[in-house]
Amino acid sequence: MNDTQLPIWEVFHQEKRGASHVHVGAVHASDEEMALQMAKEQFARRQECVSLWVVREEHVVKTNYDVPFFFARNTDKEYREVYGFPAPLKGKHRE
Amino acid sequence: MNKNEAIQTYLLALADDELILGHRDAEWTGHAPLIEEDIAFSNIAQDEIGHAQALLRIYESLGGNDPDTMGFLRDADEFTCCHFVQMPKGDWAYTIVRQFFFDAAEIIRLRYLKNSTYELIRELAAKIYPEEQYHLLHTQGNVERLGDATEESRRRMQRAVDEAFEQALGLFEKIPGEDVLIDEKIIPDSRTLEAEWLQFVTPVLKRSGLQSPVIETNGTVESNVEPLYGGRQKKHTEHLHKIIEDMQKVYRMIPGAKW
Repeated sequence: MNDTQLPIWEVFHQEKRGASHVHVGAVHASDEEMALQMAKEQFARRQECVSLWVVREEHVVKTNYDVPFFFARNTDKEYREVYGFPAPLKGKHRE
Repeated sequence: MNKNEAIQTYLLALADDELILGHRDAEWTGHAPLIEEDIAFSNIAQDEIGHAQALLRIYESLGGNDPDTMGFLRDADEFTCCHFVQMPKGDWAYTIVRQFFFDAAEIIRLRYLKNSTYELIRELAAKIYPEEQYHLLHTQGNVERLGDATEESRRRMQRAVDEAFEQALGLFEKIPGEDVLIDEKIIPDSRTLEAEWLQFVTPVLKRSGLQSPVIETNGTVESNVEPLYGGRQKKHTEHLHKIIEDMQKVYRMIPGAKW
């Protein structure tokens, strides 16, 4: 179904300063300023938030699901996986 | 009217404005033109009702009934909200214009109340102020965009301004007992608020391509329409009776029920 509403903006949410901005969803909005307001309304209302990013959906460069070789892992690459090296919980050593 | 009664009367008028407008705004929940705006407006509605509750808590601390009793067990003709907030929600343009007019008035009033000589009011005003700053940012942003977006949006927004302007002036109808509180620097004079409101909204409307019924001379702005008064004197429209009935229906079925 075609989206007949305003342009779509992908929303990235930051919970604390220094933390990564995490993609949380998308909003419709007429322009940048309203996109930030809408993002705040939808995604910063029930959780901590110190910063939001919005990006026009069409500006996000995407891989194509229909190009199977891009992510192919047909040979054994188990040696690359990180199990077996249990990382201490972040910050735990400071206790 | 002694000082205590005057403060109660004032708090009640502000709380009634917030409560009724909050309920009007909530009528858009599930019906706004964009889902994002639906949620945004529902948030604003909840904020306004929250402000009403906070004002009513101060009212209660001065010997009045508790907020639930005041909101849900009081008859319409005991309310002191202005007619402006009672009006049906209209179309989206009217809703946006009304909320913008209301938020602008709130910001101006709160700037004074943040410096009130009365501690409880001063503290509450400081707490509410940032929320109202955000409301104003949002509603003013919508006015500026819809004012000249399309021919239809311009026409509807202008109609909304024409309709809402005299109603909005009702926000500044003198509240009984006001003079005592002005003398003690507890609250600002309604006339001052009205003058500052006209000064604020006129250029915003102009920038948005909308005309307002005002006369501008040497930097001062005066209204060219008769304000719609009555609410502060408990003279109300039929619309108030209807919304109060809707609002109080469930509570009155089982008074004091816990959810």
